[in-house]
Amino acid sequence: MRAKKTVKNQKSKMNSGTTNVVTIKGKVSGKRVSSKILEAQIQHSVQEGARELHIIADGQHGIGGRIWPRGEAIKITVEGPVGQRCGSMGMSGTEILVKNSVSDDVGWINCGAKITVLGDVTNGAWNAAAQGTLYVQGGGGARCDTMTKHNPRFEPPQSWYFRNVGDSFAEFKAGGIAVVCGVNPRNHENILGYRPCVGMVGGTIYFRGPIQGYSEKDVNLLDLTGQDWEWLKTNMKPYLEAIDRMEHYKELTRSANDWKKFIAYTPQEKRARKWFKMSTSDFRKNLWEKAVGQGGIFAEYLDHELTLLPYITTGGDRRNKPVWANEKYAPPCAYACPTHIPSHKRASLIRQGKLSEALELVLQYSPLPATVCGQICPNLCMQSCTRGRLDKPLNIDKLGKLALDLPAPKKAAPTGHKIAVIGGGPAGMSTAWQLALKGHTIYLYESADKLGGKIEQCIPRERLPHEILEKEISRFRELGITLHLNTKVTKEKFDEIYKSHEVVIIAIGAHQPRKIAFPGSEDIVSAYDFLKDINSGKHPDLKGKKVVVIGAGNVGMDVCSEAFNYGSESVTAVDIQKPAAFGAEMEIAKGKGTQVAWPRLTEKYDAKNKKLHFKDGSSMDADFVVMSIGDVPQIDFLPQGIHSERGWIKVNDNYQTSDVKVFAIGDVTGLGLITHAIGHGRLAAENIHYLVSHAPRFPEIKQVIPYERIKTEYYDVCKGDFSPEAEANKCMSCATCRDCRMCETTCYWGAISRVEHKDGSYEYVVDENLCIGCGFCAGICPCGVWEMTENI
Amino acid sequence: MEPASGLRLDHNHHLSLREFPYIIRWRDDRCKRCGKCTAVCPVKAIEATVKVQRLVKSEGPVPTPAAVRNITHIVEQVTDMERYCTGCGTCTLVCPNEAIEPEFNPQNKFLHYKNKGGDGYKRGGRRNDPALSTLDRLKFTRISMLTDPALDAGRHEFRVRSLLGRILPPEDLPLKLVNGKLTVDKAGIFIPPVREIFPIMIGSMSIGALSPPMWEGLAMGVAYLNEVEGLPVVMCSGEGGMSPRLLRSKYLKYFIIQIASGYFGWDEIVHALPHMVEDPAAIEIKYGQGAKPGDGGLLMAQKVLKLIAKIRGVPQFVDLASPPTHQTKYSIEEAVAKMIQSMSMAFGFRVPVYPKISGTKTARAVLNNLARNPYAAALCIDGEDGGTGAAYNVSMDKMGHPIASNLRECYLDLVRQGKQNELPLIAAGGIGKKGNLAANAAALIMLGASGVAIGKYIMQAAADCFGDEYNRCNLCNTGKCPRGITTQDPKLYRRLDSDRVAERVVEVFKAADVELRKLFAPMGRSTELPIGMSDGLSIDDPAMAERLGINYAC
Repeated sequence: MRAKKTVKNQKSKMNSGTTNVVTIKGKVSGKRVSSKILEAQIQHSVQEGARELHIIADGQHGIGGRIWPRGEAIKITVEGPVGQRCGSMGMSGTEILVKNSVSDDVGWINCGAKITVLGDVTNGAWNAAAQGTLYVQGGGGARCDTMTKHNPRFEPPQSWYFRNVGDSFAEFKAGGIAVVCGVNPRNHENILGYRPCVGMVGGTIYFRGPIQGYSEKDVNLLDLTGQDWEWLKTNMKPYLEAIDRMEHYKELTRSANDWKKFIAYTPQEKRARKWFKMSTSDFRKNLWEKAVGQGGIFAEYLDHELTLLPYITTGGDRRNKPVWANEKYAPPCAYACPTHIPSHKRASLIRQGKLSEALELVLQYSPLPATVCGQICPNLCMQSCTRGRLDKPLNIDKLGKLALDLPAPKKAAPTGHKIAVIGGGPAGMSTAWQLALKGHTIYLYESADKLGGKIEQCIPRERLPHEILEKEISRFRELGITLHLNTKVTKEKFDEIYKSHEVVIIAIGAHQPRKIAFPGSEDIVSAYDFLKDINSGKHPDLKGKKVVVIGAGNVGMDVCSEAFNYGSESVTAVDIQKPAAFGAEMEIAKGKGTQVAWPRLTEKYDAKNKKLHFKDGSSMDADFVVMSIGDVPQIDFLPQGIHSERGWIKVNDNYQTSDVKVFAIGDVTGLGLITHAIGHGRLAAENIHYLVSHAPRFPEIKQVIPYERIKTEYYDVCKGDFSPEAEANKCMSCATCRDCRMCETTCYWGAISRVEHKDGSYEYVVDENLCIGCGFCAGICPCGVWEMTENI
Repeated sequence: MEPASGLRLDHNHHLSLREFPYIIRWRDDRCKRCGKCTAVCPVKAIEATVKVQRLVKSEGPVPTPAAVRNITHIVEQVTDMERYCTGCGTCTLVCPNEAIEPEFNPQNKFLHYKNKGGDGYKRGGRRNDPALSTLDRLKFTRISMLTDPALDAGRHEFRVRSLLGRILPPEDLPLKLVNGKLTVDKAGIFIPPVREIFPIMIGSMSIGALSPPMWEGLAMGVAYLNEVEGLPVVMCSGEGGMSPRLLRSKYLKYFIIQIASGYFGWDEIVHALPHMVEDPAAIEIKYGQGAKPGDGGLLMAQKVLKLIAKIRGVPQFVDLASPPTHQTKYSIEEAVAKMIQSMSMAFGFRVPVYPKISGTKTARAVLNNLARNPYAAALCIDGEDGGTGAAYNVSMDKMGHPIASNLRECYLDLVRQGKQNELPLIAAGGIGKKGNLAANAAALIMLGASGVAIGKYIMQAAADCFGDEYNRCNLCNTGKCPRGITTQDPKLYRRLDSDRVAERVVEVFKAADVELRKLFAPMGRSTELPIGMSDGLSIDDPAMAERLGINYAC
């Protein structure tokens, strides 16, 4: 290969023979050669065979780089002011010797050049170097050795600094070996500058001398190993020779202990590192509680354990707990019944095979179950029966009727308390029955010659076969109540009764028909007299007659039915408002052809022309008119101490009048159904029983269980015929455990078990240590017995 | 009208599930009926019940009907508005079989019904508005790209710090030259107390509103950040007094004590004064709360248990009302000056004292008053997106002023008076609403705030609060917080580990510190906070850009 002897616009010499030496000047005739031209000259010279270049620089950029290897060394000597990035992208085979200090970024992205600087390197030296060597006779500026690499295809780059380096040394260093010898450093306290090794991930830094901090999260400060020391000693010699400082060899290789090294933490080491300088638990123990006190800032006010709770808890830590609230609530049937007859218990007894016991149960509540429950009661129990939500209510009426032939229950031992009951109708009989069963001595005063009151006197026999009533009255008589029939109670009589009994119960009903006076009203019969006459055998002759009944309530309907029974051609019930009649009374009357007209306000009755005139100007043919607008009590015998209001005796919730020893029940306190009269009788009796037993408290009425708590889903729609057993199975046992074990089986945690007591009774109990308070038992109990409460 | 009989199954006035805000998705095929979901539901919105299926099968070659009844126990959502599913998802959390989860129902008519008894709907949480807030629309668009030196948040060390307290202008500094040296001459001059703090602080949440482990967890986290990490985060007590143990400890210096219209716990604080070994970081006088401006607080009697009663200095089991107004303050001039004086005096004028108001159109009037008061240390403005433990929904959703423009106009008012570097503004309300804590904080700082306060964000980030802007959970007012954050029921709050809360507080603030650097470094700011550096901000709406006096970028 031959080299050109001269290059345009500069004087250069190239020796012919084995070595071609060329001198290139950066300044010609006082004029600076541009970096571009100088670069072209260098590249051209090498192309032409120059293998030794002597460059007298004048601040040109990038001198000596990018000379691609030709299998032989290209030696470049540089002197004079050197520009930035001397030897940048230098390739293997290139050897650059700078005879003085260099400007910034010497050896930038070096790819194998060997660069020796006989002076200082300034900022950014060896930035991004990947191969080759940098020998520095002086020190380095800021950000030296940053971003260096090690490509596994090549040997790692080496950089050697004799004195010290500036700030931010080896930032993001990813490979290569740096050596900082620390000889005569310009900063005696710190030879690696401020915060070296930030972001360093690879390579090694050997250094000798004091430092002040480094990026502790990135690099590990270590002693040299034997291999390190051998490498350093071996490679120190050519370095020192190159920078002409061999006299320091001994000093620099005196002891491995003079040296330290940095290597980067591995990613694994970094990831394994703890995030926290101190755990917060240790902080609490060692600092916080030392300053604020044991247990923390609130401990002195907390009365619970200072431990954590899981979300799912048992025992006392549950938010809610289940309670087997058996019979805590009333079932809708018993609640709706004014007497609170527990039909659900009757069903339960039947299910247990105790049929007779079941049927007898009702006699504890009413003396007239076949008459009332079975015949004339609208059966409020059935109207509210939960079963009605599914198919049809239980046939409680038929079950009541089954009690007809039963004997009276056994009475309690006599108490000796004397109690008077005035009135032998349903209310009086009910209360007398209850009190007699409790062992009290009862004296009953009745103005009529028969017991039964309006049941006997006014209920049409077609609705109540007389033999049923008679049968039940005869059972009533079994209790040995002292009866005073045909005894009209007058002022004097009342006074006598009052004085001779501990308690007096007024149950005289309402037997005074209400009448409205208008022209012709004297020709009108009252419903009370009309019905009473029929039941006592005085039958009216209404054949072919047009009958009008004023007042279309249930009594009015009974009148209508009876009118047809006695031959009426037509019967019309009129009312000033929407008729109040309902149930069997209305069905029977309408079935017979009763017409109802409303609103009709009667003006007069023309008995002569058989016409009833109304205030709206209309009229109606009426051969026979009955007024059925209710009855009022006859209470003129009462002493002044017993208050009444608009003709009705006033009582409190316990049926007590303003005189504490006088009670009043039934229609005398306001018109109601016969079942209300029976209910009053029982509840008043309860209260009186407590009163005379000197335990004046009043029995609680249970709350009714909401329908939603009864799970009707368990039951199939029923299609069978009536039998007590079938009824008992149909009963949903509202609010009363039916012992089905659904809860026990459902509880996932096995917390519920059935416990049987010696007396044969049982209960379901919860193991607090297993129960989590989920409420499944309450949610799925067929009877609504389980309920959830706050666990406090 | 006469009601239908209870016996009849009718659906009059029964709400359908479609009206409810969350609908429980329960999977029969996965559920093992262990009851964990029903046991944890804070509002009993789900319960076990029984269902029946009736099927007719015909398996023969000719019609051979056979009815089959199948009873199953299921978990069912109740349709009672008083027990509506809040969507908290505690059921999902505890379900071992992933069989249950609430699903948001965007068609709900919840607000149509949530007014039983003639009272408006009350809840905790914050404004239910899942849309992007102004803060989240602000972008940092001035990046130092060659025009001026950018910093590298990863390798450059710099401190993100702010000053809380009034800063004297240079001409007012009591400096003089003595023998050629600059010395401070304090004689006769009031030098306002100033604290160097991290610009994000934990805002006022009271002992009472928060459970003991929540409050202590936050407090410990704050102490840890200061003591171990060297990050000077401060926390405000809220209006519920302070633990006497904390008042007497060296950590008091990291806490701002709040005084509000209820004055709860203040007699205990006054009693503790002579025993204090450190001054508190500051005193905050609460005049309003961003979430419910003009609406007071009420701590229900059932939450006033022994701990709360002792710390607040009240009897147990009474309702504690914190009225919306202070009784003894009648005008801005009189009210603010009087309170700042009293509180400064209590702490020997060594502690910065500043008022906190809710975001309002009238904030500038308050600010201008404070600017003339030499003892006023700052103004905290709490915007409409702030949270609360209990308020009427209508207050939360519809009352209040967004923080961005409110803060901005206040800052610009200070600029007009040349006092922008003297009276720090603290912004609050919805910072980190969508999780962008550092970005929201940085945006407010660049709009002119010296610092920001966070509440709901830290409850979510540090204690896993379920609440969100779809009205999820938001049960804070009921004392039934399923996370144990806002309840005084030990059965609930013992679910919460204060050590873990503290740990999360540390993580949150360390991360925020990193992120603030990530935002500020590329803008070339390092040594001081870019307060009011609004040329770095842009928004994609010209009207908003004009209102805020920042760039419009799209």
